[in-house]
Amino acid sequence: MSEPKAAPELSETQPTSTRTGPGRLLVAIYGLFALAASSRAAVQIATKFHHAPVAYVLSAFAGVVYIIATVTLTAGSRTARRICVVSCSIEFIGVVAVGTWSVLDPASFPDATVWSDYGIGYGFVPLVLPVFGLLWLRYWAKRDKTDTSAA
Amino acid sequence: MNGVLPTTIIVAGLALAGYAVVETARNRRMGATLLGALGVLEILLLVLVGMIVARLVGGHRPADLAVLIGYLIGIPLIPLAAAFWGALERSRWGPAVAAVAGVVAAVLMVRLHQIWPVIHV
Repeated sequence: MSEPKAAPELSETQPTSTRTGPGRLLVAIYGLFALAASSRAAVQIATKFHHAPVAYVLSAFAGVVYIIATVTLTAGSRTARRICVVSCSIEFIGVVAVGTWSVLDPASFPDATVWSDYGIGYGFVPLVLPVFGLLWLRYWAKRDKTDTSAA
Repeated sequence: MNGVLPTTIIVAGLALAGYAVVETARNRRMGATLLGALGVLEILLLVLVGMIVARLVGGHRPADLAVLIGYLIGIPLIPLAAAFWGALERSRWGPAVAAVAGVVAAVLMVRLHQIWPVIHV
């Protein structure tokens, strides 16, 4: 590999940005869900919107949330991290709200969304992803506090 | 279409994911073995996409053609994206990205079967 070799213990204990270390995995999964949810919603809205309008609009909304998380985690600036905290919070509330709604009122969801039944169709990854996202952002917020000289 | 290739991809994807998780647990970076495995997975997926395209060219159609075409475009990107993104990482989290690609490849075989049942698993 042509990459210069960083000290492994350094990159292990101190990721250099929100997109490295554990963030590498988070960005990969958020990117995957951004692609999956938004392209799925695009096809559904374009070809059969009236079949399940609620589900498709919610899919599109989820797609936008995932795109915001992917972009802001990749950018990693202080502003980007603030936006990401808001979007991950909305994402978590969204999974819980849509999950509960789809369980109580399945008639509104003739076709599933990413967040239906708390993301069961995606191995519940949509439910745990915002939790790990927020934990990762909290780690960075703490680093900001202890490392104010870099600000 | 028989189910040999999709089944092979499921086994290969899950084996790759298992190995990648072990590498993550051992605190290893992305190595040549894992990159090679992602290359093999990429070739298997491209062959599968080719077989499905051949069937489409032969005049057969699934119920939801737009969705299938989306999958045919997206599927070959999975190991490529994981190899690039994972190789950029110089920590244990590189193999973790590869593990996701392996699991996703396996899951997509099941999805393909749901979209077009002639694609057996």
